[in-house]
Amino acid sequence: MVDVQEKLKAIGPYREEPDDDMLICRCEEVTKGEIRQAVHAGMFTMEEIRRYLRTGMGLCQGQTCGKLVKGIVARELKVSPLDIEPATSRVPMRPTEMKILARDGGACDE
Amino acid sequence: MERYDLIVIGAGPAGLSAAIEAAKNGARAAVFDENERPGGQLFKQIHKFFGSKEHKAKIRGFKIGNDLLKEAGEWGVKVVLNATVIGLYPEKEITVRIGEKILHYKGDSVLIATGASENMVTFEGWTKPGVIGAGAAQTMMNLHHIKPGNKVLMLGSGNVGLVVSYQLMQAGCKVVAVVDAAPRIGGYGVHAAKLARCGVPFYLSHTIVRAAGTEAVEGVTIAQVDESFRFVPETEKTFEVDTVCVAVGLSPMSQLLKQAGCRMKDTPGGLIPDCDEYGATSVPGIFAAGDVAGIEEASSAMIEGRISGAMIAGYLGYLEEKAAHTRVEELEKALESLRKGMFAPENRGKFMKKTEEGIDTSVSLLEHGFLADNEVEKYPGVIRKAGTHPVIECTQNIPCNPCQDACPKGCISIGSNITSLPVVDGTAECIGCGMCVASCSGQAIFLVEEKCEDGYGTVTLPYEFLPLPAAGQKGIALGRDGTRICEAEVVKVRSAQAFDHTSLLTMKVPSDMVMKARFFKAV
Amino acid sequence: MSKMTADVIIIGGGVNGCAAAYYLAKKGVCDVIVLEADKSIGHGGSSRNGGGVRQSGRDMRELPYAMYAVNNMWPTLSEELGVDVEYYQRGNLRLGKTEKHLKKLEGLASGSRALGLDMKVVDAQTVKEICPYLSDEVIGASWCPTDGHANPMLTTLAYYKRATELGVRFITDAKVEKLEKQRGRLRRVIMKNGEIFEAETVIVAAGYESRYLSRTVGVDIPLYTYFEEALVTEMQPHMFDIMLGTADGDFYGHQSRHGSFVFGSDSGLEGDIDMPLDELKTSSLTASAGCRAIIGYIPLLADAKVVRTWGGWIDMCHDGVPVISKVEEVPGMILACGFTGHGFGTAPAVGLMLAQMALEEETSVDISALRYDRFKPVR
Repeated sequence: MVDVQEKLKAIGPYREEPDDDMLICRCEEVTKGEIRQAVHAGMFTMEEIRRYLRTGMGLCQGQTCGKLVKGIVARELKVSPLDIEPATSRVPMRPTEMKILARDGGACDE
Repeated sequence: MERYDLIVIGAGPAGLSAAIEAAKNGARAAVFDENERPGGQLFKQIHKFFGSKEHKAKIRGFKIGNDLLKEAGEWGVKVVLNATVIGLYPEKEITVRIGEKILHYKGDSVLIATGASENMVTFEGWTKPGVIGAGAAQTMMNLHHIKPGNKVLMLGSGNVGLVVSYQLMQAGCKVVAVVDAAPRIGGYGVHAAKLARCGVPFYLSHTIVRAAGTEAVEGVTIAQVDESFRFVPETEKTFEVDTVCVAVGLSPMSQLLKQAGCRMKDTPGGLIPDCDEYGATSVPGIFAAGDVAGIEEASSAMIEGRISGAMIAGYLGYLEEKAAHTRVEELEKALESLRKGMFAPENRGKFMKKTEEGIDTSVSLLEHGFLADNEVEKYPGVIRKAGTHPVIECTQNIPCNPCQDACPKGCISIGSNITSLPVVDGTAECIGCGMCVASCSGQAIFLVEEKCEDGYGTVTLPYEFLPLPAAGQKGIALGRDGTRICEAEVVKVRSAQAFDHTSLLTMKVPSDMVMKARFFKAV
Repeated sequence: MSKMTADVIIIGGGVNGCAAAYYLAKKGVCDVIVLEADKSIGHGGSSRNGGGVRQSGRDMRELPYAMYAVNNMWPTLSEELGVDVEYYQRGNLRLGKTEKHLKKLEGLASGSRALGLDMKVVDAQTVKEICPYLSDEVIGASWCPTDGHANPMLTTLAYYKRATELGVRFITDAKVEKLEKQRGRLRRVIMKNGEIFEAETVIVAAGYESRYLSRTVGVDIPLYTYFEEALVTEMQPHMFDIMLGTADGDFYGHQSRHGSFVFGSDSGLEGDIDMPLDELKTSSLTASAGCRAIIGYIPLLADAKVVRTWGGWIDMCHDGVPVISKVEEVPGMILACGFTGHGFGTAPAVGLMLAQMALEEETSVDISALRYDRFKPVR
């Protein structure tokens, strides 16, 4: 169980850092500072960070930034990146046009 | 729905090997790959591989790829290209985008061999055009024949960083520096030495501060870092470059496995499926092999693939359990030998102070990329004698032994332990054929003749650049550290099919320079 | 855990639970604990829905509080919570392609009008004026100009963030085993790890799992599960801000603030899905079926790339509307479940009314029709 209030107290307040304006998620243009602030607002999981900031929700689905975001969140929470559950992966593995998906005969089609 | 005994996702070294092994035993196998060409990373690998014969040592990666494809064809493996698997569903059903359609297939077993993607690091300006992954640079050069840039700085001194740096030079780029935050070079010393003798400087314990430029990268600034990876003040150096290559590791592309509900484990090397030693995941019938199951080299991926393929044949009932295990044991021996030596998985990141033979490791090699002139003779491959003889500057225990088979006269021996350093036997007679020089994937073997005429000797070195210098051409000999040490003249240049695109350049230098001159630069 | 007691315990960190926590705190009751079974707040339907803030098409038992939320709460929610929840009130078109569709839509519209909602059926030309990107096959639609949409992920997390700032204690990865009465009153929440929380009032807002929890104190609600899927496209140029649905019910969705289109859809095979509740696997057929439906109505999206699909379990209630009710026979227990796939748009009102119930206040809207004991035999 994770008590959010206790954890927020333990990690202390957000403090600005010189590279906070560095872009981390290129697809959705999310900066390091935004990620750090989100952690201090109680977004502790990759799922929450994604939903709150849209990191990894763009075209590349976090292929580039996933590890970077995890690293930043882990540092902010003062834990190892391995303690942070990676984001879910979802169909389709590659962005696919609606018209292509629509052309799917399903199980009976060769 | 069309169903196969085995569906393989990814036609790289692991996937193809698994499909072949399963098909050999009678399984109906199909391999799907999203690329136009099969082979995965193999077709980008224009360098010769390390290992022993069973590991396809001294064969160039793309050739191994071609051989695998041929073998797959012979065993009736269906290789479907331009086929992107977009989903893996319960009942081992996949959806594949082929052309303008989505098709569904099922497999009684599925092997996921989707490989890895490149890691990124952040620094000021990391999103500017011109900052690219080393793998991307390799794809541009070796698959699409596009030069990534003109002046390149490489971040990362692992094998990928080193190999790609060399290939960038072969493509005609200037590599201004190889930079790594670690205090020692991460990849094989022989790969680093190839760069150093061409004059590429190494900056260890350094990293990138920023990439600058208005529209795209125009320059890059690096600085030294301390043990906690913090910048050391006033150590900044700026290089004028148009490209920054990033080779900071790979992450398994394991999304499909996660999607399929396989139990996963998060490791420092990325998210991987929790597999048994044969690549079986927690979902019965779903297997993983190659980089997706943990980053290694293509050589081990091929064996891993074979192991999974044999186990799958067993799982499907095409191979008796006992026979499957016998085959796997045989393959595991080959895999074990690849995982030995200073770069074995358990030694990753460790500083090995001594070789297996008890010789001090070259700190100069680890920190600067070249052996110091005064330490070369400590190693058993380096001897001095009259007449032509091989000088093997192989100083780290890596699993590789083609040189001992290359010499028809028995001058070179490694013995049964594949990671032992090669020993040159001074009593055996070298005929100067150069087979050893061309066979060395690390380009660490030279033929040296101390006295060929009054005051002069010759050095024969492996040469893989174009244009090829011609006999009679005058130039400069460079030392191991890439500095100009004397004038040199090309005596002969040999190219032969047996050398497999490595030319042997023999240059004449003053006799006292034969143990120092290691590269020829035309002027 | 520092303190195991609170004035109010809310089981379920979804949008209703988070909203209830916030409105309690806003009313000065900050000694509130929210227990979320998952590691992430809003892991269930709260973050998996299409974001509709809709009054049109609702059951007459629900419409009053749906309208209350739209009239009194959604327009100022972003300002109130300090997070832009991307609320757009630009209307909802429910599209029809056949006369049969239009007849169905007319029925919906007249029913809603009778309850005071501005909703009518419009012809093909008016539809084009409202949204020029639709297929010529659309012959009419129902139109409710006061409907809209918001970002469900942000809304849930915004309530969570603000409630946290006001002192509410959220505990994630907190799996409840059972509820327990003490001296005639619901008092204890017993966790799977054996720990015990205690409170004067317990609000159960745990989606389908509310059923399991209620049963531990002898209350059974006729819920069943239904799995639905959604998809999202890459960013597209801005096209429209309205919410879309169809008379056929084959998809619904909208374009979000950042440009992606979010659509919910089904394949028609969902009724027979056999999958444990903790699994959220999408089917190999649904996204394709959805795309066929979507580009049949919005042909321009044929080239838009789908970047992600997902699914979620819906807590379906036997009669299609939720249970939002005090459970008098278990004093101290308040139930909010069975939202049947349309609970997001009403969450502000539901959260507020749950807070009111917990504080023994009169609810803003009469919801006695949503009592837990309303289910009677029909024969």
